[in-house]
Amino acid sequence: MAVESKLSHTAAMILHAIHAGYVYGFSIMEMTGLPSGTVYPAMRRLERDALIRSEWEQQSIAVAEQRPARKYYKLTRAGKATLEAAHKRYPLLARLIPSQEVETA
Amino acid sequence: MKLQLAILQTAALVVPRQQRAEWLAEWRSELWYVRRASSHCKRGVTAYCLGAFKDAFFLRRTKPRLSVREILRLESPFHCTAFLAALAAVGALSAVQIPSGGNEQSMLMQRPLARLLMLVVFACLILPSTTSLSLGEYPANRDSSWPIRLRRWIFLLTKIGLILLIVYCQLLFLADPGTSGLAANLRIQGLLWGSIYAFRWALSDQRKRCPVCLRLLTNPAQIGQPAHNFLEWSGTELICARGHGLLHVPETPTSWFDTQRWLYLHPSWRDIF
Repeated sequence: MAVESKLSHTAAMILHAIHAGYVYGFSIMEMTGLPSGTVYPAMRRLERDALIRSEWEQQSIAVAEQRPARKYYKLTRAGKATLEAAHKRYPLLARLIPSQEVETA
Repeated sequence: MKLQLAILQTAALVVPRQQRAEWLAEWRSELWYVRRASSHCKRGVTAYCLGAFKDAFFLRRTKPRLSVREILRLESPFHCTAFLAALAAVGALSAVQIPSGGNEQSMLMQRPLARLLMLVVFACLILPSTTSLSLGEYPANRDSSWPIRLRRWIFLLTKIGLILLIVYCQLLFLADPGTSGLAANLRIQGLLWGSIYAFRWALSDQRKRCPVCLRLLTNPAQIGQPAHNFLEWSGTELICARGHGLLHVPETPTSWFDTQRWLYLHPSWRDIF
């Protein structure tokens, strides 16, 4: 609960972006318009507070598509609960970032 | 591209060592996608890379601090040497401040170096009955090059040297002028047993350290059963947290396994640490 009450608008936006399917740093940056120096530290903080968790993509998938493997972020159960609380606090959040199909496997 | 990679490499130096490799891998991977998405705007890509500094400083700032217990565990060789040096400095300061007793010098104050030597000789005679003097078997390996072996010996000698300095300072500190013969003898007995304990600790501490990075070994695991000693070995296995190797300490010394053995791990193992 302490984390929920401290969630800033930026953190809530990032949390919502991940929930909406923008699951890696650069896509979150593009969608939110926030600079890299804001997005990555915010994601570290969210991960430290166990609201999101990260996972490296399988190397074989990346190699098959001739690109480097990506680190994907996912909401945890606590993250989903916090996001619901954030939606009440920031009602326009859902309109800022449209949902997209999760492109990861 | 080179400039952008250089920015990331420089920022990586700020990131705590344990997180550095993964952090850099993530930023390098993301950079590839950023470059592909904004190939026409180099300035944008460079600005993206500059954000890595903010991220790196965040990780440095929020790095979990060592607890007092972890510091007192003297895990790193630096912590261990610094702790002994601090004790020696406190001892030296205490010894400097003892008042001069003029002609009434106590028994301990007379020829303190000779007394220290005598004390060390006695301690060395008693020490083998309290602990093994062997430091274990460390097989020859490319990881056991002479600078690494030399560093290990220098570390042990530094510990022993600092202990000697502490004992000497205590010898001077305890030599209060006017102390009767019995009290002085009791004090020197205390100092003798204290020195034996300190030397014993120096050897035991050395045995529990990785021969490559000199950090204390972790994750002790019980292996085997004492009842199987004729066919197998039983004892404790410890691991170097940096992946340099494993230490096998037999529970019951046998003719084929009488002392602890170090097993160097191949460098390919280090990726998982």
